[in-house]
Amino acid sequence: MSEQNNGVLPRGVTQQEFNAAVEKFRALLGNENVLVEQQQLVPYNKIMMSVENAAHAPSAAVTATTVEQVQGVVKICNEHRIPIWTISTGRNFGYGSAAPGQRGQVILDLKKMNRIIKVDPEMCYALVEPGVTYGQLYDYIQENNLPVMLSFSAPSAIAGPVGNTMDRGVGYTPYGEHFMMQCGMEVVLANGDVYRTGMGGVKGSNTWQIFKWGYGPTLDGMFTQSNYGICTKMGFWLMPKPPVFKPFEIIFENEEDIVEIVEVLRPLRIRGIIPNSAVIANILWEAGSGNVRRSDYITEPGHTPDEIQKQIQKDTGMGAWNLYAALYGTQEQVDVNWKIIVDEFKKLGKGRIVTQEEAGDTQPFKYRAELMSGVPNLQEFGLYNWRGGGGSMWFAPVSEARGSECRKQAAMAKRVLHKYGLDYVAEFIVAPRDMHHVIDVLYDRTNEEETQRADACFAELLDEFEKEGYAVYRVNTRFQERVAQSYGKAKRDLEHAIKRAVDPNNILAPGRSGIDLDTYKS
Amino acid sequence: MSMDRRFVLKGMALGSLAGLTLGGALPALGAAHGSPRSSAARPALVLVNQGAEQSAFVQGARATGAAVQVRQIGGDLTDLLSLQSQLGSGRKMRLIGLLDDASAALVVDMARSAGARVEWLGQHTARGGVTRHRLLNTASAEGCARQLGRQLHGCGAGFELTEERLGSAAPARQLSAAPRNQRHADQWAAGIGYLLGSLGAGRPTAAPLIAQAGAPLDGSFVSFSIET
Ligand SMILES: Cc1cc2nc3c(=O)[nH]c(=O)nc-3n(C[C@H](O)[C@H](O)[C@H](O)COP(=O)(O)OP(=O)(O)OC[C@H]3O[C@@H](n4cnc5c(N)ncnc54)[C@H](O)[C@@H]3O)c2cc1C
Repeated sequence: MSEQNNGVLPRGVTQQEFNAAVEKFRALLGNENVLVEQQQLVPYNKIMMSVENAAHAPSAAVTATTVEQVQGVVKICNEHRIPIWTISTGRNFGYGSAAPGQRGQVILDLKKMNRIIKVDPEMCYALVEPGVTYGQLYDYIQENNLPVMLSFSAPSAIAGPVGNTMDRGVGYTPYGEHFMMQCGMEVVLANGDVYRTGMGGVKGSNTWQIFKWGYGPTLDGMFTQSNYGICTKMGFWLMPKPPVFKPFEIIFENEEDIVEIVEVLRPLRIRGIIPNSAVIANILWEAGSGNVRRSDYITEPGHTPDEIQKQIQKDTGMGAWNLYAALYGTQEQVDVNWKIIVDEFKKLGKGRIVTQEEAGDTQPFKYRAELMSGVPNLQEFGLYNWRGGGGSMWFAPVSEARGSECRKQAAMAKRVLHKYGLDYVAEFIVAPRDMHHVIDVLYDRTNEEETQRADACFAELLDEFEKEGYAVYRVNTRFQERVAQSYGKAKRDLEHAIKRAVDPNNILAPGRSGIDLDTYKS
Repeated sequence: MSMDRRFVLKGMALGSLAGLTLGGALPALGAAHGSPRSSAARPALVLVNQGAEQSAFVQGARATGAAVQVRQIGGDLTDLLSLQSQLGSGRKMRLIGLLDDASAALVVDMARSAGARVEWLGQHTARGGVTRHRLLNTASAEGCARQLGRQLHGCGAGFELTEERLGSAAPARQLSAAPRNQRHADQWAAGIGYLLGSLGAGRPTAAPLIAQAGAPLDGSFVSFSIET
């Protein structure tokens, strides 16, 4: 039996204490589920952040297969003060990947808890364990010919609903705000209790995945982006598969068009004419996800000049902004809404509409249409080849769905990124009232100087946006403490008071969203 | 709170090639085909991008004398899902590769899901005749980075190399050299193919020189060695 030999320990834990915990993990989970060897831990440490891997090196990873085992893990962690970082499918690329938030934390990888417990095609919901991937669910739905469809993040085929929803991720269908569609969670608490939210505590209830609120305080939200519990089951609603699905793209030539695009789009979204989380992708996002590489055009370091971006537009037919949306329903419903949309954009006098018939199998239209109709793919990973070098951190400020605001944020982000020689690779994900302004800060991790620049750039983006009253909705683990500060002291005090009450030994993911009893000073 | 990067950097040995004992002259050009390493190099599936079946990396891997099967990864990333099922099939597999960033990010994470072991993970950039390498290694790849550095220096290629050993208390190793000539621009890829092909088969040795075919490799790549 191999000893833990990788030289990494959790904060404040001695080797002896750690070894004792590892022995108990082995007794509980079996040797094959306790990973301590370097080779086993390397794949948990492919971070893409602007910091040494060492800062996020795990001391071990354990895999559990049952709720009872998760309870057992928590018990051992309490006994030995071992901090654990839980992942479900672990595909949190650009937000910290599968690595722990802090060096030395033990990863609790729930990939083996991968049962699809129930899919109800009439009530249109699913109940799954954390290791279930969207790809797995998609296959299940196809094999059983069920009349429902999924909403997922772009790494759809390999990511999963529990992890994505716990990090409040988004998708591209009318059910794209995933936490809004979540209904009923089972959570293992730090004291080992198993708590079910909503109707889940009622004996014999058949409405756990039907009615979100239950009775009294509704606590689901407090388990997301936090460290108050380990989710072991999650329910979420599924959209009925529509008889007609009509994806489309509208291509805009100029960067300034963003103002009018958003002004036309917002009322269409609020009125439900466009029902899905539409996307407005800029030229570099479009190019990257459409297999264009920066080096096809320019090899000089620094940001990609506007003339080059224009040249890419010219060569590829892509727009400065590319709006993707879709209609769902019966033919009659789709026809009525399609006419409204076409009329609105005609009135604007800008924008070239592209339908699926016109786009055929071309990328990126194809993968966008798939994402909007619940068909998994991996095409968007092409972004990683835009600049190359393995560095990627999402900067994702929330914006009002107002044209002037989007223009302001886009200009600010571009200015800061260019100052640091990096590209503005961005999309707006359009909810009725807000936008997730998602920017992929891409850089070369083989270049130490560029890595430091990316780090400084990310910090400045946070600072500059904060000055204007903006903050991100989610962030990578390198910057989680910094972002927590943007949200204010009262919130942080309350979060730590809750943490003291539910996890006094600080064993669950210390540091997650800046919540850490060992370091926080009110 | 995540560990401050300065803390980590402070501990680094800012080494240079001056500190390396350089080995003898490199084997003659073309030796890749003439004298394969008659070693215990194990069979491997070699993953490379479309059109790279004769690449320097593959030549390096073949030069180990091991049986290698080359699989080219095409432009459709969704095709990689078939690899996921292979990795998860429970069959013993050894995979080495040099791929673009997007494909490699997927392959390495699929390896994690499958519970595979990763002995070597390298991030590489080749641009304008200079290469940069950032390696995350394990004890089983001990000596490989040093060997690679020695070899790159021997070829006259300019390079920067940083090696982190996962969790090791030893400081990260940094090596660098200015370019002296461009004659063997792709030798870095051959060297990595050779090192990965022969991982676990004794002390790492220098790859034979490969013939530079066409324009030098340019861009960003990820190398890995995975075992199920
Ligand atoms: C090209 C590309 C495109 C992307 N597009 C999108 C997108 O469209 N939308 C989007 O949202 N993201 C996107 N991402 C980011 C990310 O890859 C996805 O959000 C992905 O779904 C997250 O990984 P996961 O689902 O495997 O979650 P995990 O990695 O398993 O979990 C994420 C985090 O949630 C917490 N957590 C997970 N499971 C539990 C649990 N059981 N109990 C308690 N806490 C838990 C942990 O803190 C964990 O680190 C993209 C990434 C890339 C590279």
